[in-house]
Amino acid sequence: MNDGKVKTGRYVAALVVAVAVVAAITAACGGDDDDSGGSGGGNNDRPLVIARDMDINSMDPSRAYCDTCQIYLTATYDTLIGLDPKDNKTFVARVAEKWEGNADRTQYTFRLNKKAKFADGTPLEAKDVKWSFERLANVKGSAAYFMDGITSIETPDAQTVIVKLAASDSSFLAKVNASYAGIINSKVATANGASNAKDADTTDKAEPWFLKNSAGSGPYTLASYTEGAEIRLARNESYWGDKPALKEVIIKQVKDAVTQRQQVETGDADIAMQIDPDTAKKIKNKNVTIKEVPSFNFVYIALSPGAKDNKVDLNPKIREAVRAAVDYDGIIQVTLGGGGKKQAAPIPNGFLGTKNLALPKRDTAKAKQLLKDGGQPNGFEIDAIYPNVNVYGVDFNTMMQKIQADLGEVGIKLKLQPVEFTVWVEKIRGDGIPMTAVYFAPDHTDPIQYVQYFGMVPGAPWASRAGSKDKPIVNQAEVDLSAKALAASSDEEREKLYESIGKEMIADAIILPIVNPNLVLAYRSDLEGMHYSACCNLEVQRLKRK
Amino acid sequence: MGTYVLRRVLMMPVLLLGLVTVAFIVSRTVPADPLSTVVSERQLNNPEVVRAAEKRWGLDKPLTTQYVLYVRNLLRGDMGTSFRTKQNVREDLAARLPVTLELTLASMAIAVSVGLFLGIIAAVRRNSWVDHLARLFALIGSSLPVFWTGLFLLYIFYARLGWFPGPGRLDPRAVGPEKVTGMYTVDALIAGDFATFGDALQHLALPSFVLGWAVMGIISRLVRASLLEVLNQDYVRTARAKGLTERTVIVSHALRNALIPTLTIIGISFAVLITGAVLTESIFSWPGIGSYAVESSRALDFPAIMGVSILGGVIFLVTNLVTDMTYALVDPRIRLS
Amino acid sequence: MTAGVRNLETGLKLGRPTARVPAWLTLPVGVGAAIIFAWVIVALTVHWWAPFEPLQSVGTRLTGPSWQHLAGTDALGRDVLTRTLYGTRSSLPIAGIVIAVAVVIGCAIGAIAGLFGGWVDSFLMRISDITLAFPPILLAMTVTASLGPGLRNALFAMVVVWWPVYARLLRAQVISVKQQDHVTAAVSMGAGRGRLLVHHILPLSMTPILVNATMDFGQVVLLAASLSFIGLGALPPSPEWGSMISEGSVRFYEWWIAAAPGLAILTVVLGFNFLGDGVRDFLDPRTRRR
Repeated sequence: MNDGKVKTGRYVAALVVAVAVVAAITAACGGDDDDSGGSGGGNNDRPLVIARDMDINSMDPSRAYCDTCQIYLTATYDTLIGLDPKDNKTFVARVAEKWEGNADRTQYTFRLNKKAKFADGTPLEAKDVKWSFERLANVKGSAAYFMDGITSIETPDAQTVIVKLAASDSSFLAKVNASYAGIINSKVATANGASNAKDADTTDKAEPWFLKNSAGSGPYTLASYTEGAEIRLARNESYWGDKPALKEVIIKQVKDAVTQRQQVETGDADIAMQIDPDTAKKIKNKNVTIKEVPSFNFVYIALSPGAKDNKVDLNPKIREAVRAAVDYDGIIQVTLGGGGKKQAAPIPNGFLGTKNLALPKRDTAKAKQLLKDGGQPNGFEIDAIYPNVNVYGVDFNTMMQKIQADLGEVGIKLKLQPVEFTVWVEKIRGDGIPMTAVYFAPDHTDPIQYVQYFGMVPGAPWASRAGSKDKPIVNQAEVDLSAKALAASSDEEREKLYESIGKEMIADAIILPIVNPNLVLAYRSDLEGMHYSACCNLEVQRLKRK
Repeated sequence: MGTYVLRRVLMMPVLLLGLVTVAFIVSRTVPADPLSTVVSERQLNNPEVVRAAEKRWGLDKPLTTQYVLYVRNLLRGDMGTSFRTKQNVREDLAARLPVTLELTLASMAIAVSVGLFLGIIAAVRRNSWVDHLARLFALIGSSLPVFWTGLFLLYIFYARLGWFPGPGRLDPRAVGPEKVTGMYTVDALIAGDFATFGDALQHLALPSFVLGWAVMGIISRLVRASLLEVLNQDYVRTARAKGLTERTVIVSHALRNALIPTLTIIGISFAVLITGAVLTESIFSWPGIGSYAVESSRALDFPAIMGVSILGGVIFLVTNLVTDMTYALVDPRIRLS
Repeated sequence: MTAGVRNLETGLKLGRPTARVPAWLTLPVGVGAAIIFAWVIVALTVHWWAPFEPLQSVGTRLTGPSWQHLAGTDALGRDVLTRTLYGTRSSLPIAGIVIAVAVVIGCAIGAIAGLFGGWVDSFLMRISDITLAFPPILLAMTVTASLGPGLRNALFAMVVVWWPVYARLLRAQVISVKQQDHVTAAVSMGAGRGRLLVHHILPLSMTPILVNATMDFGQVVLLAASLSFIGLGALPPSPEWGSMISEGSVRFYEWWIAAAPGLAILTVVLGFNFLGDGVRDFLDPRTRRR
């Protein structure tokens, strides 16, 4: 084996050469993409890339229900009315040039713009609006409840739509403004298996078709969708309104915040909206603009006295004790690096009626006293089962470990059990969970959705979770106040009513909001028109390159 | 040999049916709510919506009926519609399989070439520092979790140094080559598009190295061991005595026989690679079978989970069969029984 | 290996340990044994000398390695080094239990299959084939997804993944032993199946089982870490290497959160691999390096 040693030198040399060749080839072919980020500015033909962890559940407007869906649908389907980006509150004309509600908010009339037409050139008419609304209701997708209470939709002429409701609903305009209520080209959709009939939930077969096509009148059309990878949007060159600046928009699947950060910094992506405030603070790059804006999302813990596995009596005193034991500022530091706000009631900051509500505060002495008053002077042990997720920058495991430590200080021992979301849903629908942590993002811009979800009113999910399925907890004051709010036509009046509802919901002490995370908009500095929309997340048609 | 292969092939449907049954039972007895994938959490409180969804997704029938229906549809080649992607599961798998295949084949190429090289130099210069170093390098690869290696390589070579592109298969703005095989590198070559080929190759480099490094150890260890064994045998000694150079002895006499056991292990490593792909794909944002499996089981997407299990089972059974047959072909002394 | 590779080489030939020269005691084996020994000592004694409490916030959050916190602090301000050291307390026992239970169950099934033969054999072996056909991580994911996360369920899942390896191994042994002359003779003289198992089969099977078990130890550590990494293993706040890496992966610019637990996994698995080589060479001199 003596001469073997000499020969191995050759093997080593051969390998080195081989590696070098491969490296050279890849380097030569790939080209350098670092410089393309900053210097390519000014060219709106260069595709815009949005890096997102996509949560697409459907590309069908009547069935879709997710944050990414809002961006996609807003770009491809026009709604009757839009939202003014300046205040995120005022409705503005879109397909409807005029609209009005009657005094008790049971009837709404929309006057459509004559110019409106679909991407294929067909005019957008009243029948399409009627068809789209009926389909949204009848396929019984997740946003179907927007159309609850409609008794009839009348179309006296091609430009007029009259919607009649069974009961007062001051939130109807907000629902019509939501991206799920976008107007679909009924002729094209029907030709591809869609239906607006009563039995559409079983007879409508168009969902797969919508994965490959869009049928709206929006500023963009769907060029291609690759599940798990990307959505490509092409500008609607014959758009009836103001033509958008960017020629092509790509929404790219990028899982975590760190990678999104890297991609925006290198210019691989132009926009990232899921970077947590903590990570965002570390971006020091003149090509990247960071804007931290208030969001309408929030994270809360919920206590269910009626849950089957409950071993302690979660009476109001005990629930207040939990509220007083949580270190809110500490959590906002630990999960978001300070990039969030406390929130009083389960109606997020910025919504009507939340301005004057008292924010929660940590007070361990008070918490201990409340525990004593509530009959648990030595504290107790409780299961905390929550979905193992990371949303709006808040890592639930991190947050719950902090809450576990906080509550531990007053003698409440949490047994943490992170579970998959599907498992969590099964538990919460079944026996209930004594203590859980969840998140919520608005479906539209009206505060009533929070009362109908978190309030102790009949039909609200949390009313039956707090109590039991057969015997939900009911707070009559909330029932009466929300009925008034739905029939009220002036914003001043509604603001007062929602403030009272907010106070009632705080007193319920079932939902304890923990944090209202800020939203970080990280984007290349050559972009103009970047804003976060309360209805639609991001309106790509407003973007352009300098 | 013929009857043996026939028996193995005939056994496959039985095994597959068993696999389908086990997968079906496990995935349907899970204490989790599959409806939460198709209906939003809020609407789950609406009995009307829940009923409609159950009917649409075939969850309203008793389990046994669902099972019979599933098997019957499967025999027709229909794997159902995914709850999550709303696409035909077969289409989903067909779109994602080439992605995983490209990654695993590239990893395999790295693992085999480097593993073979390391094994040979380790055997030829056994017990020297070259041997120790080669073995240590290969062993470290198989002792690190792929998700950790992947994260650190991305951090160093993408985020810090910028030598390699980030996650994904191509530059974010680029459009993939026209689909022939679904593997971007191959398709780009077929189309004669060398820029795209280079782009795809660069994106392939990090993930395939991570995976390849992980299986390199098995291969180099086996090559070294079998080579050592062969080098001591009579015919090799004879060859040496005849005055042939050491290289000729190793390459044309020893290596050939030492490769036989290596072939089997390559078969096994292939199944292992597919597994490793699960975590690697998640980290490198590769839309392959691995990340599909993770996402589907997260969402409790029955049809997709079943589809992945069946595909995985078929791949495992086929690679096993092919490995055994290759083994028999290379070394006729081995009789399959 | 990637995420737990079941060692499928069941065809290990037998050999008897000889007491001549301890040729198996090479440098790697020594290093391997030293590493494992050190980690075991850490696991047993860490609560006496660890610099900090593993579950408490003890410093400014997200600071890099310093003299005070050698491996930095995590998002909650806990000391990463302390948590990594405490991590041995879950990883090592998990691997030990999984291997032990898998060996017992696998051997029992393998012995039954081998001794009874016929349809019992085919049935049991087909079940093991089906189990093997699932990629390990998928199988473990499905099981833990259905039972809920937590170490106990992860343990169960890993046993489900691992038993077929030992079942096949023992079955192969049983069948080869059954054909040996002295066994045939013993059977013809009326020796029962139990006697056959205890006196003739088990002693001979110990070698390959022990070799496999040592080699698999590291793989189980890796699989456990992978399960925790995707959130199906250890529950927070317990310090487990996989979940610590998972915490680090969402804050990747704070690389130190994932660095220490990753290196811990590396050393443990490497240690077992070295050790496994030694055990094999010791028990099976045929593969011993010349």
